[in-house]
Amino acid sequence: METVFIQAVINGLLLGGVYAAYSAGFSLIFGVMGVVNLAHGELIMLGAFTSYWMFDCFHVDPYLSLPFATVLLFVFGYLIQKYVINRVIDQPHIMSYILTFGIHLIVANLALKMWSHDFRSITTSYSGANAAFWGLNIPYARLITFFLAGMVIAGLWFFLDRTETGRAIRATAMDKDVARLMGVNVREIYAVTFGIGAGITGLAGASISPFVIIFPEMGLNYTIVAFCVVVLGGMGYMPGALWGGAILGVAQSLAATYLSAGISVAITFLMLFVMLIVRPAGIVGKGMAT
Amino acid sequence: MPMLTPSEFTLRVAGGVLLWIGMAGCWNIMSGYTGYIDFGPVVYFGLGSYATAIAMTKYGLPFVPSALLSGVVAALVALPIGIPTLHLKGAYFAIATFAFAETMKQVCLEFDRTFGVSFFEGSHGITLPISGHDNTFFFYCLLPVTLAVLLVHYGIERSKFGYGLKAIHEAESAAEIAGVNTTGIKLRAYVTSAFFLGIFGGIEAYWITYITPDSAFNVHNTVQMVIMTLLGGMGTLLGPIVGAALLTIIYEVLGTAFVEYYLVMVGVIIIAIILVMPRGIVGTLKERMGLRFI
Repeated sequence: METVFIQAVINGLLLGGVYAAYSAGFSLIFGVMGVVNLAHGELIMLGAFTSYWMFDCFHVDPYLSLPFATVLLFVFGYLIQKYVINRVIDQPHIMSYILTFGIHLIVANLALKMWSHDFRSITTSYSGANAAFWGLNIPYARLITFFLAGMVIAGLWFFLDRTETGRAIRATAMDKDVARLMGVNVREIYAVTFGIGAGITGLAGASISPFVIIFPEMGLNYTIVAFCVVVLGGMGYMPGALWGGAILGVAQSLAATYLSAGISVAITFLMLFVMLIVRPAGIVGKGMAT
Repeated sequence: MPMLTPSEFTLRVAGGVLLWIGMAGCWNIMSGYTGYIDFGPVVYFGLGSYATAIAMTKYGLPFVPSALLSGVVAALVALPIGIPTLHLKGAYFAIATFAFAETMKQVCLEFDRTFGVSFFEGSHGITLPISGHDNTFFFYCLLPVTLAVLLVHYGIERSKFGYGLKAIHEAESAAEIAGVNTTGIKLRAYVTSAFFLGIFGGIEAYWITYITPDSAFNVHNTVQMVIMTLLGGMGTLLGPIVGAALLTIIYEVLGTAFVEYYLVMVGVIIIAIILVMPRGIVGTLKERMGLRFI
């Protein structure tokens, strides 16, 4: 009984790490530009497919393809922001939601056309390997993603806090007009920010590829989870992704263990809904409230 | 159109156009005029579908009272949901409404299995009594409801309520200081749109005779309402009519001729509208020609 509970919590935390890994970019993009990126899941899908094709065609280990996925998605994100989203960035935010939804439709359906509906997975020598002790199991692949999430968020914090570009990004997020007066090229900063957000999301997508099912339409569900994670942790507050991920992961895992897997999804949305109304700045109250 | 002895196909398309004009209009009443972007209107459509399906199959109610009941059920749900959510702004309102729609979909999917009852029927869906009615019947069912939605628009264009909605769009806090009961007005718009969406849900359920949580609460329905209104022009009377008619007909043409690329093309159309004429067809015309009441 107790083992079941501890196992459920561990599973939840590991799941939370996975959630945090692919939600941090969503939070960054919202925090800086106010863009709710509805094509977020497609970035994850593209990251996962990058690692899938590298594994399938060249037998590259999924973890070795992380840098490729990161760079590829950075370029993709940079170009999208620079040539598409930047054109509506000064208009009401709804324009950017709908625009990114359009991007979601195009990317997901072109991927579907190219790669078909097939469910794919990457089977490595260590797929399904566990560290087992005291009757508990910890899958290595999820553990790695868990630590990657921590590293990505720490790296992002370091970048935003300590580098010149990071300072420019923070300044733009606080007040874009003043930032412009201080000589920041706001549009370029937007493009770089979207690039970074997309890049770390691609990295997350590649890092979850060893243990998730990869298919062109996977994106929307990931977008929805990223929504929940970011709202729970606080929109635009980077470490909030870890909080939100952990809470959501543990809640889902406990609900799936003691109730049913289907109900755990309902609980996800219920938490999201209640959280928005009761505490819109996130669980630690450091997100942007309006 | 029915007077011209049209084919069943034309009637079906005409019915679809009416349905989507009405649904886009419902979204326009709330979001188009106030600028509060509702990303979960499909929840009231879905609840309406389920209310009609359950009333007809479990309680043997006839169709017309069931459809009206659906509207009442949707409005009764919208009231307690609207009060807390309408305090949220911008992206938070959009996400909260979206989350509520997904919650209700999951509840319909999992309720029976979790509580061991037979009510929503989970993923099996519900088969409604086969109506035996043809498309003409549904055309005339949809017509008064869609006209009612447009009548609400007409009222908005020339009433205090309408000015209130527009004031919320322009400057909500200023409107509040000027004595506009902003929360009350938003709530009225929200509940009104939920009521009509519930009826549309009921009619559509009886029309297609089979519903599942995935079909009734499909997020693409929300997206269609948003895009049609946006294409036509948010916050205008003619906007939803133009947008819905155009997109439904495009769907009937492109959707059958280029099935595989249909969604890609919808994506391209969306991006093109946003970039080329962010105010929509009617909005752009209004701006160019200086027209006020269209």
